[in-house]
Amino acid sequence: MDTYHLKELRNRHEVIRYFDGYMSERFDELTEKKLRRPLIKTQLLELRDGPEEIPSPKNLLLTELLRRHNVWTKQLDETMFLLHDEAEGEIGFLEVLRPRILAVYSPLPSDRFNRWVRRLVFSHPDLDYVWLSGLTFNVLWELVTRLSRPHRFTRIVFTHDSIFEIDQPEMELDEKDQEFEELAEDQNEESEIIERRATSFRLVDRVGVLQEKLKELQEIYSPMYAISQLRFPSPVGKGGHDFYDNGRVTNRSESFRDHRSHLLFVVRIYEKLLKLTEQHAWYGIQESVDVPGGFRRLVGAPVTIHFQEPLTQEVFDHWIKATFERRRNKFRLWGHPIRLGPTKVHVYGVDRHLWQPLFLELTTQGLVAILPRGTCGNTVHRLVTNVQRYLDPGATAFIGDIHYTSMIKKSTEEIPYEPHKD
Amino acid sequence: MNHIRTELLRDPLFQLNIILWLTQPMPPQGSITPLLHQKGFSVYAIAPTLSVPPGIALAVQRSSLQTQQRVRPDVVLKRETDLKFALVECKASSFGVATEQAIQARTFLLLADEPLAEALGLSPEQIQASILAYALPARESARLEATLSRLSNELRRHHLPAGDSTMIGLDIDSWDVRVVFDWSGSQFFSIAPGSHPVMRVQPGDDPRPLYFIPYDPDVHQSPEENLFCKRILFERIHSAVLAAVGRASLQTNLTLNINNLLNDATFGMFGLWENRESLKHMQRMCRQLITALARAVNKEVSNSLIYEPPEDLKVVLSDTNQHHQVLAAIERFSCESMDLREPPMPDLFDDLFDA
Repeated sequence: MDTYHLKELRNRHEVIRYFDGYMSERFDELTEKKLRRPLIKTQLLELRDGPEEIPSPKNLLLTELLRRHNVWTKQLDETMFLLHDEAEGEIGFLEVLRPRILAVYSPLPSDRFNRWVRRLVFSHPDLDYVWLSGLTFNVLWELVTRLSRPHRFTRIVFTHDSIFEIDQPEMELDEKDQEFEELAEDQNEESEIIERRATSFRLVDRVGVLQEKLKELQEIYSPMYAISQLRFPSPVGKGGHDFYDNGRVTNRSESFRDHRSHLLFVVRIYEKLLKLTEQHAWYGIQESVDVPGGFRRLVGAPVTIHFQEPLTQEVFDHWIKATFERRRNKFRLWGHPIRLGPTKVHVYGVDRHLWQPLFLELTTQGLVAILPRGTCGNTVHRLVTNVQRYLDPGATAFIGDIHYTSMIKKSTEEIPYEPHKD
Repeated sequence: MNHIRTELLRDPLFQLNIILWLTQPMPPQGSITPLLHQKGFSVYAIAPTLSVPPGIALAVQRSSLQTQQRVRPDVVLKRETDLKFALVECKASSFGVATEQAIQARTFLLLADEPLAEALGLSPEQIQASILAYALPARESARLEATLSRLSNELRRHHLPAGDSTMIGLDIDSWDVRVVFDWSGSQFFSIAPGSHPVMRVQPGDDPRPLYFIPYDPDVHQSPEENLFCKRILFERIHSAVLAAVGRASLQTNLTLNINNLLNDATFGMFGLWENRESLKHMQRMCRQLITALARAVNKEVSNSLIYEPPEDLKVVLSDTNQHHQVLAAIERFSCESMDLREPPMPDLFDDLFDA
């Protein structure tokens, strides 16, 4: 297949056809274990205050936003743009998949693409990764078992790292590892000696086998609740689509169209989950419906996360210190903790990524969060993802009295799975 | 610790926030048991102004009993299923019949009966039952119950409406914050009479929950509680400033309005205060924080935070670098560096506000 400069692709049809052909070649190479060029990767991003409908004049704001970060766009149609970075060159294509969700498709090598995305996301509060927590992945896994035949192979990666068991200096908590890379084979003899609970392993097996065993395994060993990657087997052939907890999706199938359909499927669920979270969790004083302009009432519901096992005093103290005394912290939170005893802290703080207020009660038993109206639902999903990853993989979450998992399940209802339509 | 807990139980903002938490949807087996939410009650209105309907006001005048023209209960609760309304008022302690509070209580009792529908702007059939509930330390309940009983009898003797009343007693033991319901409260709220644990407290931890309403200049608090609430208010204003500057577009100067910051910090309650002196007091406090914040930030990035009297704070964000520096400086500031005991002083900007 000829190698094109992406800028030569003139419309959506050509882009999809080119990526389809490109993936078909890569898939052959993958099968022969001779991958000559990078796979197509997608980064799903959430656009805060995204437009109600697409196409929208707000797309202009998006291109303006990108331009400010030296990314030039060429609009192919109402929702698809070519991206060209001044320093990196051609990045790929951006598509507005849903009003609040963007996808960037790129054939760049992983490290370059990750670096570029990270720089973009960290430099603008209106953009965030799409966060798929372990709890969300557990529901998506149920969908995989329903959508795929039992003999198909899938891959699940579990990641839990109790980084707060020891007090690590700031440099070790750098954002350099915030991007969750594909699991690397750990064959480096000089790798650090880890003396804290750190789980990171992948399971590759038939869907039917995992369906039978996973629940049991999770009950025996809680880090297995912390799913950080999940493969949707492709219905068109071998391979599939690897979804990561930070919204990265790697296409390991032979079809780009199938890849995009799976993105749309998960994105629709995620968008519904975002809306449900915000509908329930936003706090504010609202005008009473009964008497407009009259009384005001308190509406909203707290977000509660229960730890399966209470944190030790040491872990709790390290967590508070690492999160609120260090500017660069895993939870990306800011605030001045108000100590209310050895195992209780209140923080009237800010989500440092989206720059939105967030009020927190943190204890050794769990946390309670109050999200003032307007705070993006993504804050909740990132919080849950980070709690499972760094504090307690078996943690459970609630929005008010509604189990977070049942909210995710509700979000999957009536979402069409149409792998060949889009 | 016992002294602190006694003071807490008497604190109107602690009481108010506990009542608000009791109406929140919470997970089962959590540290908070939202008794009122479980029984279907939610917040209908926070601090609404209720005026006595003119017909009742005239009848009261004829009786020569002292009442107020209008009152503001701390919360009004409603149960949708059977249209029950409760006017909840938080009090540090009980009071006798010859006190100022008794005049207010008499007004509440009048309104907690038939006139409530009119006072809330509802039709009579939209309220099936109503009650006046005082939240106060449990050990004060009996005395206040006696006072209210006398006030109710007095109203009835003058053929004036007198609603039912109840006590929501608050208590703290080694493990829990508890609420105590008497018989009439039990009937009204469908909660068994007696003491119920509502918030688990770990040994050695302070029982205060996150505060929805962090500050109210109209309530009387102990100096320690006032200091705590002022700290929360300042933290919330500080976080509102940081969030606004963080979200600001590059190369655009930002103007923050003191009233908007106060509204953000109080979930919109600031806009509800009608007492002009209270409003001014809140604005002075906000200015106190803003002045300290601007001083600290300008020391690091000169002329970046400019207070424009009486209500605006201008944030100069001339380029990306300055934006980052200003953000970092705002993050580094802490209201703990201020002397929070120092009262906000009246200044010439009060007059500007009046103008």
